[in-house]
Amino acid sequence: MTWLTWRQFRAQAFTAAAALAVFAVLLAATGPHLASLYATSGISGCQATSCEHLASNFLQQLYAAGTYWVLYLLGVVIILLAPALIGLFWGAPLIARELETGTSALAWNQSITRTRWLAVKLTLTGLGAMALTEGLSLMQAWWAAPIGRAVGHGAGGTNLAMGRFSSLVFATHGITPLGYAAFAFTLGVTAGALIRRTVPAMAVTLAIFAAAQIAMPLWIRPHLFPAHHTVIPVASLESISLQQGGLNGRSFALSAENLPGQPGAWLLSSGAVNAAGHPVSTTPAACTAQSVDNDTPAFLGCLDSHGIREAVSYQPTSRYWAFQWTEAAIYLALALALAGYCFRRLGRRLS
Amino acid sequence: MIEFHLDGRSGVAPYLQLIHQVRHALRLGLLREGDQLPKVKDVAAGLAINPNTVLKAYRELEYEGLAAARPGIGTFVTGTLGDGASLAAHGPLRRDLQRWLAKARGAGLDEESIEALFVSTFRSAREEDIA
Amino acid sequence: MTAVIETGSLGKRYRRLWALSDCTLSVPAGHVVGLVGPNGAGKTTLLSLATGNLLPTTGTIEVLGGRPAAGQAQLARVGYLAQDAPVYAGLSVAEHLRLGARLNPGWDAGLARSRVERLDLDAGQKAGTLSGGQRAQLALTLAIAKRPELLILDEPVASLDPLARREFLQDLMEATAEQGLSVVLSSHLVGDLERVCDYLIVLVGSRVRLAGPLEELLAGHHLLSGPRRDPRSLPDSMQVISASHTDVQSTLLVRTSGPVLDPAWMVSEVALEDLVLGYMSQATGRGRRNHLEVQR
Repeated sequence: MTWLTWRQFRAQAFTAAAALAVFAVLLAATGPHLASLYATSGISGCQATSCEHLASNFLQQLYAAGTYWVLYLLGVVIILLAPALIGLFWGAPLIARELETGTSALAWNQSITRTRWLAVKLTLTGLGAMALTEGLSLMQAWWAAPIGRAVGHGAGGTNLAMGRFSSLVFATHGITPLGYAAFAFTLGVTAGALIRRTVPAMAVTLAIFAAAQIAMPLWIRPHLFPAHHTVIPVASLESISLQQGGLNGRSFALSAENLPGQPGAWLLSSGAVNAAGHPVSTTPAACTAQSVDNDTPAFLGCLDSHGIREAVSYQPTSRYWAFQWTEAAIYLALALALAGYCFRRLGRRLS
Repeated sequence: MIEFHLDGRSGVAPYLQLIHQVRHALRLGLLREGDQLPKVKDVAAGLAINPNTVLKAYRELEYEGLAAARPGIGTFVTGTLGDGASLAAHGPLRRDLQRWLAKARGAGLDEESIEALFVSTFRSAREEDIA
Repeated sequence: MTAVIETGSLGKRYRRLWALSDCTLSVPAGHVVGLVGPNGAGKTTLLSLATGNLLPTTGTIEVLGGRPAAGQAQLARVGYLAQDAPVYAGLSVAEHLRLGARLNPGWDAGLARSRVERLDLDAGQKAGTLSGGQRAQLALTLAIAKRPELLILDEPVASLDPLARREFLQDLMEATAEQGLSVVLSSHLVGDLERVCDYLIVLVGSRVRLAGPLEELLAGHHLLSGPRRDPRSLPDSMQVISASHTDVQSTLLVRTSGPVLDPAWMVSEVALEDLVLGYMSQATGRGRRNHLEVQR
């Protein structure tokens, strides 16, 4: 059965190996240069105060060079797409194709039970799927390590400076890709088992997987652990986004982009609150002058004097791996549940 | 070794056709005592017929004393047919039959009636033999 | 003799349609069993239930004394050839044999190899490029080289040309003789079945209409032709299966254990085709069933 699984999987394996090889070559060709750029940027031996400045310079330099940004994005896209492609091309045809072509009658009437047939196929191909996706992720992580370190030192100001909690980075680093791969694969197999036609199963797999990948960062991930809440003086904010609008600057929205004293934290929400703790969006009458003049420090100072502060809810950076493990565990649990359902369904005689 | 063939349109059961062909071969001397009959598997494969059909024919031949099965080896001819004595009896019997046919035609029977009369008498006589 | 397939009131329903109903059979071992009937009668359903591809809705089925597809040992005893002989188009002939060897503990590699050689199949050729007859032969090789006790074939020759059909049946008979196989073979082409089968099951309209040794069934049925008569006037010992009438003549298919002595009837022996057609028209009724037949 191992031989048969490999033989039927051969073409997909070679495609994956080829893609992996091309990706590896691209990274290997540019990685050392990136590392040397990092070495010469002086960030490694930097003093606490100069670190952020050096790191931001480094990233801006990279971004301006063009190729590194493109490669980084490419890597991210590949790692995000890999589970979906695996679900479509490795998962959906697994059972569906056998039913469509009638070869299930051949395979399931050899001296091997359907359960064993499915067990070997799921395990070997599933492990391959996880290995491939995680392999891509690890290669990207190795290549982008300098960028990660720069971000860790508080670099900002360019698109490259994505914190590790950001949607794109969180989904492509650590062990979440393992979970996504397992889930997408078993999702494909289940869709194929239920729908029994390869192409419609592929479509359904894609739709459901995409929906899950959108729903997770938007609605589920932020609530995996209870958020921390804090209220800080507006003046202490380092990087903000301030919108002023309405007639004569009557309304404003103030959100923080990072949390002083909590580098790398994941900001879930932030907004201005008054002394009583209620959200406020109307500019105090006395401060409209500064808002009309677009004099930000003065405006902030004015807000401060009216007792307006910034309320922030966030997840501390120390929780990063807790989030990684939890999310991976959720996807793996889903994958196991789907696999279990497939076994039951196969046992109840599909045709 | 003889080879069998089947006439699909003769209306005669396949196993009977096989028996007839063996007896015919024996009469003509194509098969002699000690010769091996074709293997069941080969006959079944050659004619695309059920092996049990061949087995049935061979068993019938065994019952008639014309063949004997040696397990693991094959089926072999043990008897003979058509020695001179019975052939000699054909002459008088043929003349009797011709006289009877002339009588039947003289009585006004047409050919089909003669045939029907002969077949039904032949069959009922055979059934009496069995009973 | 033990039964290879034993069913008790077996039934299978798809949504609202009963594909097979009230099927009670005891198929003896050591025979080539022909499963005959029109398309859609339930032949594939019965065979799928026997191989364990389907689970019954009602009733029971036992194959070789065990539950179909119950485990590795049970699966090894039954060989199956599905309709249109599916094979893996991307795998070569040799790889198919390897598949058989890897997945069947009882695999006879010598038998498989000699068959492939005799069939003149190119071991490296992809199965998708084989002709219909060659695919059927490859599938047959896979089924018999695992040395089963029972071989089940679903319309194996329906889509083959006459030469391929003949060669397939020849090889099937050879394997049956050599390995002492029991065979269950479904078809709607009765010509081949007559030579090859010695046990018959007639399935029409999802029900078993007739089952028994072929020779007995043929001997026990007669085609009667004579002056027009109401079938109910026939003696009780004669069961009328189907009847057709003109204004002066009646032709009846009857089942009886004794001889037909009434001189008014012209009695003909039946061939398999007459038998199947007779039971098919009985099942479909043709609007005349209710008052023309003697029910027993």
